[in-house]
Amino acid sequence: MSATPQAIPGEFFYIHTHPPALARSEATIQARVKNYKISDMQTTICAPATGPGLGAISLIRLSGPEALSILHKLAGDKKQFPPREQVFCHIYDGQKVLDEALVTYFSAPRSFTGEDVVEFALHGSPYIRGRLLELLCQYGAQPAKRGEFSYRAFLNGKMDLLQAQGLCDLIAAGNQAAHELALSSLEGRLSHCLDNTKQVLTEVLAQIEVRLDDVDEEMSALNVPDTILTLQKQVSVLKQLADTFSVGRLIKEGLKIAIIGAPNCGKSSLLNALVGFDRAIVSDQSGTTRDTVEETIDWNGQRIILTDTAGIRDHALDPAEQEGMRRSMRAIERADLVLFVMDGTRALTSQELNLWQNVQQGGKPVIAVLNKKDKAVIVTNPLPEQPVHYIALSCKTGEGLADLKTAILTVLQHPALQTQDGIMISNLRQYQAVIEAQTELESAVLQLKHQAGLELYAEHIRAALRALKDLTGEVTPEDVLDVIFSKFCVGK
Amino acid sequence: MFDYTFVYDVIVIGGGHAGCEAALAAAKIGAKTLLITQNLDTIAQMSCNPSIGGIAKGQIVRELDALGGTMGRVTDIAAVHYHMLNTGKGPAVHSPRVQCDKKTYQFTYKHLLELQPNLEIIQDEAVQLTTTGGAVNGVITLRNTFYHAKTVILSTGTFLKGTIHIGEEMFSGGRYNDMPSNCLSDSLKSLGLHIIRFKTGTPMRINARGVDFSKFRVQPSDHPFQTISHFTDYQKQSQRHFLSCYITRTTQETDKILRENLHRSAMYSGKIHALGPRYCPSVEDKTKKFPDVTSHPLFLEPEGNNTEEFYIQGFSTSLPEEVQRALLKSVPGLENASITRAGYAVEYDFSDPLDLYASLESKILPGLFCAGQMNGTTGYEEAGGQGFMAGVNAARKVYGQEPFILRRDEAYIGVLIDDLVTKGVNEPYRMFTSRAEYRILLRNDNADLRLCPYGFALGTLEKKYQPAFEKYRQQVEQLKADAHHQPNDTDLYPWSAEKVRFHVEVHQKYAGYYERNKKDAEKLAQSEHIVIPEGFDPSAVKGLLFESSQKLKAVKPRTLGQAARIPGITPADIQLLTIHIERYRRLKYAEKTV
Repeated sequence: MSATPQAIPGEFFYIHTHPPALARSEATIQARVKNYKISDMQTTICAPATGPGLGAISLIRLSGPEALSILHKLAGDKKQFPPREQVFCHIYDGQKVLDEALVTYFSAPRSFTGEDVVEFALHGSPYIRGRLLELLCQYGAQPAKRGEFSYRAFLNGKMDLLQAQGLCDLIAAGNQAAHELALSSLEGRLSHCLDNTKQVLTEVLAQIEVRLDDVDEEMSALNVPDTILTLQKQVSVLKQLADTFSVGRLIKEGLKIAIIGAPNCGKSSLLNALVGFDRAIVSDQSGTTRDTVEETIDWNGQRIILTDTAGIRDHALDPAEQEGMRRSMRAIERADLVLFVMDGTRALTSQELNLWQNVQQGGKPVIAVLNKKDKAVIVTNPLPEQPVHYIALSCKTGEGLADLKTAILTVLQHPALQTQDGIMISNLRQYQAVIEAQTELESAVLQLKHQAGLELYAEHIRAALRALKDLTGEVTPEDVLDVIFSKFCVGK
Repeated sequence: MFDYTFVYDVIVIGGGHAGCEAALAAAKIGAKTLLITQNLDTIAQMSCNPSIGGIAKGQIVRELDALGGTMGRVTDIAAVHYHMLNTGKGPAVHSPRVQCDKKTYQFTYKHLLELQPNLEIIQDEAVQLTTTGGAVNGVITLRNTFYHAKTVILSTGTFLKGTIHIGEEMFSGGRYNDMPSNCLSDSLKSLGLHIIRFKTGTPMRINARGVDFSKFRVQPSDHPFQTISHFTDYQKQSQRHFLSCYITRTTQETDKILRENLHRSAMYSGKIHALGPRYCPSVEDKTKKFPDVTSHPLFLEPEGNNTEEFYIQGFSTSLPEEVQRALLKSVPGLENASITRAGYAVEYDFSDPLDLYASLESKILPGLFCAGQMNGTTGYEEAGGQGFMAGVNAARKVYGQEPFILRRDEAYIGVLIDDLVTKGVNEPYRMFTSRAEYRILLRNDNADLRLCPYGFALGTLEKKYQPAFEKYRQQVEQLKADAHHQPNDTDLYPWSAEKVRFHVEVHQKYAGYYERNKKDAEKLAQSEHIVIPEGFDPSAVKGLLFESSQKLKAVKPRTLGQAARIPGITPADIQLLTIHIERYRRLKYAEKTV
């Protein structure tokens, strides 16, 4: 017998795939399985723990190795978060304060998922919730997949088998839906809408790959200008789709209308009139952000959140008028539609004109509302120009309110808020996938312009197709070869 | 029956490109190895074109060479012409191709086999595998000798029930004028292996006497060039005399002849039912599928130094011999050439690679390994890569060691085997760079850095190269960290300061992409750690779709990573599997502790 050769250091081998080996080293396997980490568990995930509707408080959960460092990015480096203690702190959106929140940090393994977890209890505004999720993702978290928190909890031994079975059902339900791909479902239509993009990208990739693998070296050079045009077209398709994200969220979470204007011009009356007009109050809270009043109503199934920017009144006469303006502007920033209310019995003050200018520049759809129509109206339009949407009404008598509702619904039909065939993106995962694909294609275009090389164009187009994988299904090398062999006469 | 009582560690059946690498690798590791071949004089025969390498294939040869394989070294010994392909494109896809003297190539291999300690060669034909307790334990040959074996490697190429077609003519043969192997295939079938049939083809060879070479474009051998083996001395090699290749095109007349005779091709007369490779079509295939393309490139390759025979790449055909003669006359410059060997198509049996583990061991018959065309691939390089891995893993099994498996981000060989055992084949499988997700990592210039450490650890690469390699690796790192570092040649041979500079230059070009690929690959590596336990039944997983469960049963993936690559398996399937595997593991653990 020859001597057994020197054993190979274990780190060279990463896999047990062999039945005898498996039987022989059951202990090793046990240890490995116990210590394994699946790729996704290296990431930090986030998701709202409360439903999409309005509640007094919304809870957002963050889990994974980066949880604490992301929290520090939001609350400042110096803030201390002792484990399992509620800490009151400001959450920053850049320089601005997004909200005051109660934050709890749970250190691994003593948490729901067994990983580092941060829970944010925020004021129940869809804007604040949505913005915080965006910020978390900006700082490196990823939107959680369906059931992913529980999945991690199970894998970390925080959940028993019975509970895990429930989790399996949840995932299975998603699986079924994805497979049946009900054409009526939003996701099905979205996937269908991306079919063309997938096909175009696969063909561009085939054009590149056929040249990389060209044995005869006799293919003509890639048509760079054409390829750039094709890719740019797909960039704009993806961009358009990404833009529907806000609309998708709008439908899911509600259309936010800000009512702004000078003190005593009837903002609160208008709010009450609109709420009363429909008599379908979904919830009623005031003071969610302390300086505004929010009411949620339901018009034909469309959730609408009305915000009265009460803050202006308090501060309008303040020597520091800037503060009032700042608050108004913040309300406008968060709104999808602005109602600019004016007192019909008097001319506009310079401050109001100033606010109007700012609203115009903000680019949000706006309806100019002239209140107190029941009184002797001294001006028909006190504004320097004719606004696109202009309604005169009386909150007191109710005259013109129906016109306002029509106007609001008209603005909702505005092309900027409408999507082709009703296709839209309504969750952050899909949004990120589309944005990533778009970015990759932009990089591909850049590299094409620099004539950087076929293999580099391919890297970006492959990455774009990978990003869209969950929406379109995977494009495998075999798919690309199929295109190559059907379109090109190649081979020795 | 003569019972040869010695028990071999490894018996290799078939002495082609896969079999030779397998036998040499196993013997180098120390396994007592026997190679059984029908004909010692056709060992490592280049049955098709007289070249090694090509796009993506060249990378495989470089990898094989870095691991301690033999193909690269023999290629340099037999080389008559060097050409680096794709130099107009980025260095990630530069692929070496080397024309060889066919006879030098095969007899060099034969000689190396004869010199290899632990290796015996016998000229005979294996007709039956024997088993004991469901595992393979030996081979019975045509001369009725029984050889005992702990493991057997099948590398039979196109010989299993090989059938040759030339136009209306049809006869059995593994290669033109070589006997096929008809019994072994039935033996395998009776042991439960899934046998499928493929087709491939080869063009005519001509006598170049009378050929007017002035009508062709000359492709001289590269100068300077790159040897395909890391261990060949360039200075010595560059003193050699090199031959040229020639490039031309088919004409309108060729096209007319093809159209008029399409129905006479074995491919289209209904005689051949097996699937052939799409990327290596016969010239009549091209005409049929792309009627708009009326002229095709032809590439004339010398068959060697001591012959006037040329191989005509692009003229692969199974048309009748008289049509082949007419085709030849339709090409300017070839009017006076004569056919020495007609082109033909060959149909052959192979076994479904989905029946294999990533170690290339059969799931159906423990101890049996398969490599090369036996697994539905084509190409000398693909065969060599698999042969080496099968040889290594058969030997490791005998020594009770874990199998050696290359990941998709480590080598084209890893991509090749993972594709075979995860996706199966529906046409003869050829490597393309487009099959590699991590193309930027798998380059010709870094094959040594990727794989030499494995070669040293496995015992297939000579230890004497290790100090120089370590020094090379060190200098590469130094130059990467500090652009002012001056690499020097001291104790670096067969590597050199110039290679250090070249590699780092290429690396820098791809730095950003390299990191990106690496990061993706790390994720892959993690999911490769999760082992699907033996005996795990996917149909017990509630919520898994029926089709997914069927696919998992067919492929029997060994890791979650492999499961995820099975076509049609969804991320949700993988999540479900993860949970159930964990559950299964805990249940088993609970059973044990009770």
